[in-house]
Amino acid sequence: MTPTGSLANIRVILATDCGSTTTKAILIQPVDGVYRQTHRGEAPTTVEAPFADVTLGVINAVTEVQELAGRRLVNSEGRIIQPATANEGCDIYISTSSAGGGLQMMVAGVVREMTGESAKRAALGAGAIVMDVIASNDRRRPHEQIQRIRELRPDIILISGGVDGGTTTHVVQIAELIAPAKPRPRFGSEYTLPIIYAGNRDAAPLVQNVIKEGFALTVVDNLRPVLERENLGPARDAIHNLFLEHVMKHAPGYDKLMEWVDAPIMPTPGAVGNILQTIAGRQGVNVVGVDIGGATTDVFSVFDGTFNRTVSANLGMSYSIANVFAETGMANVLRWMPFDMDERQLRNRVKNKMIRPTTIPQTLEALVFEQAVAREALRLAYVQHKEFATTLKGVQQQRTVGDTFSQATSGQTIVDNMKLDLLVASGGVLSHAPRMHQTAMMLVDAFEPEGFTRLAKDSIFMMPHLGVLAQVHPQASLEVFDRDCLIHLGACIAPRGAGKAGRPCFRFSIRTGDREESGEMLYGDLRLVPLGERETAIVIIDPERGFDCGGGPGKRVEREVRGGTVGMILDARGRPLVVPTARAASREMVERWGAALGLYPELAPLLTRHS
Amino acid sequence: MSGAYTPGLRVTARTRHQVRRLLPIPGEVLVKVGDRVEARQVVAHTFMPGDITPLNLAKQLSMPPADVPECMLKKEGERVEPGEVLARTKGIFGRFRTEYKVAVAGTIESISSVTGQVIIRGAELPVQVLAYLAGRAIEIAPREGCVIESDVSFVQGIFGIGGEAFGQIRLACEAHDQDLTGARITPDMKDCIVVGGARVSHEALERARGVGAAAIVSGGIDDQDLERFLGYALGVAITGSERVGLTVVVTEGFGQIAMAERTFTLMASRQGADAAVNGTTQIRAGVMRPEVVIPWSRAEAVDEHGPGTTRGGLEIGAPVRVIRDPYFGAIGTVTGLPPEPQVLPSGSRARVLQVTLNTGDGVIIPRANVELIEG
Amino acid sequence: MSSSLKGKGSAKRSIAAAVACAALFFPALAAGQAPAPPSGLTARDHSWDNGTRIDLQWTASADEATLRGYVVRRRSTVETNFSVVDIVPAGTNALTVGSLNREAGHLFRVTALGANSLESTPAATTAPVFPTMEWFDGTRVWFLFTLVLLCGSVVAFIVLARRGMPLTLRRIAGLEAVDDAVGRATEMGRPCLFIPGINDMNEIQTIAGLTILSRVAKTAAEYDAKLEVPTSKSLVMTAARETMQTAFLTAGRPEAYNPDSVYYVTDEQFGYVAYVQGLMVREKPAACFYMGSFFAESLILAETGNAIGAIQIAGTAQPAQLPFFVAACDYTLIGEEFFAASAYLSGEPDQLGSLKGQDVGKLLVGAGILLGVLGATAAALTGSAFIESLVNFFTGTMLT
Repeated sequence: MTPTGSLANIRVILATDCGSTTTKAILIQPVDGVYRQTHRGEAPTTVEAPFADVTLGVINAVTEVQELAGRRLVNSEGRIIQPATANEGCDIYISTSSAGGGLQMMVAGVVREMTGESAKRAALGAGAIVMDVIASNDRRRPHEQIQRIRELRPDIILISGGVDGGTTTHVVQIAELIAPAKPRPRFGSEYTLPIIYAGNRDAAPLVQNVIKEGFALTVVDNLRPVLERENLGPARDAIHNLFLEHVMKHAPGYDKLMEWVDAPIMPTPGAVGNILQTIAGRQGVNVVGVDIGGATTDVFSVFDGTFNRTVSANLGMSYSIANVFAETGMANVLRWMPFDMDERQLRNRVKNKMIRPTTIPQTLEALVFEQAVAREALRLAYVQHKEFATTLKGVQQQRTVGDTFSQATSGQTIVDNMKLDLLVASGGVLSHAPRMHQTAMMLVDAFEPEGFTRLAKDSIFMMPHLGVLAQVHPQASLEVFDRDCLIHLGACIAPRGAGKAGRPCFRFSIRTGDREESGEMLYGDLRLVPLGERETAIVIIDPERGFDCGGGPGKRVEREVRGGTVGMILDARGRPLVVPTARAASREMVERWGAALGLYPELAPLLTRHS
Repeated sequence: MSGAYTPGLRVTARTRHQVRRLLPIPGEVLVKVGDRVEARQVVAHTFMPGDITPLNLAKQLSMPPADVPECMLKKEGERVEPGEVLARTKGIFGRFRTEYKVAVAGTIESISSVTGQVIIRGAELPVQVLAYLAGRAIEIAPREGCVIESDVSFVQGIFGIGGEAFGQIRLACEAHDQDLTGARITPDMKDCIVVGGARVSHEALERARGVGAAAIVSGGIDDQDLERFLGYALGVAITGSERVGLTVVVTEGFGQIAMAERTFTLMASRQGADAAVNGTTQIRAGVMRPEVVIPWSRAEAVDEHGPGTTRGGLEIGAPVRVIRDPYFGAIGTVTGLPPEPQVLPSGSRARVLQVTLNTGDGVIIPRANVELIEG
Repeated sequence: MSSSLKGKGSAKRSIAAAVACAALFFPALAAGQAPAPPSGLTARDHSWDNGTRIDLQWTASADEATLRGYVVRRRSTVETNFSVVDIVPAGTNALTVGSLNREAGHLFRVTALGANSLESTPAATTAPVFPTMEWFDGTRVWFLFTLVLLCGSVVAFIVLARRGMPLTLRRIAGLEAVDDAVGRATEMGRPCLFIPGINDMNEIQTIAGLTILSRVAKTAAEYDAKLEVPTSKSLVMTAARETMQTAFLTAGRPEAYNPDSVYYVTDEQFGYVAYVQGLMVREKPAACFYMGSFFAESLILAETGNAIGAIQIAGTAQPAQLPFFVAACDYTLIGEEFFAASAYLSGEPDQLGSLKGQDVGKLLVGAGILLGVLGATAAALTGSAFIESLVNFFTGTMLT
């Protein structure tokens, strides 16, 4: 399965991503000595009836690439040609998949906040959707837990619990609930449900005793050998293997696809996590990535080398759009709108989008509204991510008398917007926004980056392909990531702190090759300074007292800032960002901000019509 | 992607329709190939493993879990009845023994010496699968179920709530653009599938539930009315398991919108026929839309199929329905298919088509925002 | 005002007495004419006092301009001689005489004292006047005001809390860590240990400790963890059992409650400590809670707990033991926090309200100290008489 020959000889790389609706193929080739993404193609995914063979969609997408590239990639039998010759075939073929709703898992642990959370982290990190976490302290009576297990139809179950040498009774008890509950897998009745056990090693034989017929049990190293440390690798690997062996085998056409590829097929989100981790590691930066889809929103973060992923299963822009409203409320969405709309009509519109998810906004009003919803969906997803991405809980604290009045608890979030260097956006509403400014502004409004933060978007959702490629050819993957995958939108500079509207917030001075600019920002203001994609600038920020731009409150900060298609956003709106829900106040604010950034240039005539 | 694929909802006067009726777990199939079945007939049945009651005897009797198996008076696989003594502690010198009386009936499935947990499984739960479609069994999946086929009038809705329901088609409105109000629901609509025109009001839903109607099929519904009727706000579009006493199928969408005239006419022509309705909607991978299935009786069953299921692509002259504002619900004919993407008022670039609406207006609409009216 | 004058008056009084003595014993030196006497002396009981004061008032002497002052003398009905009470400067025509015996009547005389130290004939009261005690002491009005403010805020907050006003309390790290500690014990398959101090139920700290036990026990029940409570007083054992049973019931796992996990060890301080230490070394509990009144054993227990790697949470109001707990434990509830925790946990409006009310009181005291210090400093620096009089009023009148 591994490509032969050294990596330097690799000239043509083909990658596909089988999404739930579209299969995307890209072709990577060296151009002037560096790897570039040269051609791409897409076709509808063909997992479901009447086709029921994923490779049909793959071949369709690849054929489109073949036509564009003028290079034969598919032979007459409908197979991808390997290895490459001078003008035929490819050296490496890789693929990811999220077709059929992705990988759905149920996880179990002893204490929800400890091994339960570690197990959830392992599953999410492997690219799964976690349907539920069963734990001793999840406040459900055993019969309720059983009821829940029976309702769920997971692809894989992960059981953890107990540190090595720790509790056995709790773990065995959970196994004793799962075994008779016999959760039914999603795929047919011949499918034996895989269970991974990654808990206290002393309990492994006991668990093996309990879980016998009807399941395929795999025992791996404890994912929490001691409370102070996680060891998620073995469990993640086991999930990947079982994903291929069991889940993929039962999806139509995947057996063929698995033979074709040179690296194991990965669940799409797992691959995205992979590339972000690689980037963060290679460049030594803290990264947050977001992928907002129709049904779910994935948030990935790497802070100081620690990777976290969350899936907000019911926050999305089409199937789940109604749920965004249910969770945040109409008022919170409307506060991002520079004009008013009839509430009853809006409610119906939201529901119509839910039942007809493929439609796109035709009028500007509809677009503004959709982007307002996106801000709230992203904000909620990030809140959930921050709650999940924490330090380990249940760890002993070392204290001195100096800590008397500042006894911090364990389990604090590791997400720190001030330390965030790069924010990457992907997903329809973000990457297909008609103006890049809108994408940048949605990111800034929803994620509230602090200090200096680079904003970027994934041009054509290439991150999954590159994530798998990073495993076989890291160099090619990094080169393409930097040159073709990311579209740099620019930078956001925003000090943390609160003040009074109209009072000074910070002074700035910007030096680029040919010009110098300086000025003062008042609290509540927003300003766009153009800075082109290949330009950099030296920026000096002097925050007022009480404002912190990364150097501490009131301290001067000097940084080099890289430009982008949007430019540099100077944001003096304060952090945390406060946007009132009172319509009169928010309408004026949002309109002013929109004007400062040129978000909706065509909106001005509309606004006069509305008012 | 040259021929943009824009699936629409199917509305057909006559088509040969098949349904797969499968058990959730293997069981017994009660029909043979060629059998004629009625909608409410049971075609397969089985028993689901019963509910499980876990009992932690170590805790109940305050003893170490390892002692539990010894103290059990019943062994694995034995039946227990409520009130029976399940276990007795050894006590001190044979005295001061504590007993545990079981409160549920069932079979002892397992006894654990690690956790002290005893699992009792209750009686098996019968599961039945109805035919749903009156017709003929044409294929049997052994131990799983069967495929039933019949000639039907078939109407797909866009959104529904509630599960399968059966009844006679009854029109409550005279025209496709008439609202279905409470006043139009009469007590003799009990057990009927009530067909309305445009928007169905909350009052109508309540009245229909009150008179015991089987289902309501109408053009549109207000989100607020739906929320009031359900008692909660709908989050994601996965429905079918609601227990509200009424199946509701909406053919066009949310808001003030008339049922497509073709759909209404079809319904009107089948007034009085027995039909089956399913409100189950799932708008994710594996899309499911609600449906109304009206089988033609055997006498009417002629071996002649309409133009039926040919799904044409978008082409000039094709009838389409606009499915997003600002022309939401409007019906028209495709008059042009410019190949190049165009800039929309929202600023996005997308492939569009020119449509002449039934009102006579010519408009430009993104291709993603129309659906073919299929027949 | 009277008290502030008293201080200054005493020095003057001694000089004046000397002058008066000189006038009395050396009449030959008092050559010249005696001044005109004051007239119309009236004596009236001082109102709103504790029955020790009488107010005098007289009409000034005709020679007021040249006078050195007036000599006030007093005699009770049981005494025979008049004695000097005070000499007040000229221009004064009233005096409150204090420290009088309530049982006896009092007679007063006021003479004018000339520049030549000659005294006039006295103006005298004719009938004895009795000082009477009233229901209220007027000098204590400020005290009453402060009292009403402090108690009133407590009462007000209790009433508000009872009416359902949400009272937010600062989160207490030590309490939030209970879940962490019990969770750790659960994952490690080890027990939790709860020590309710070594005092009996008459100690308020023990009671606060048991309130926290109810929280710990509830968490342990939810997590299905083992919790052991050795006590050194039999009554504490009984109370702890009650607490735990209720907690398990609230958690919905009454069957998991085992009364044997709460037991009595010994009343002997070090016998108890030796047992607990032994238990800790043998069973290695993963979470230890010390909540109550502790003495010498605090560091012994906390250090042992630290050595076995347990998460430790302590709470006590014994100031001497706090540093040990802070240094050796993961989390410590300090003094007042310990009681606050109990209010926080119980969520009872009465407890929450009084806690909030006390906070208002503490705020007032803090503000008072700050104002006083600032005022006195300003007065000393600027020498302004106005500020000084304000400070005097504040310290002398409001706070006495």
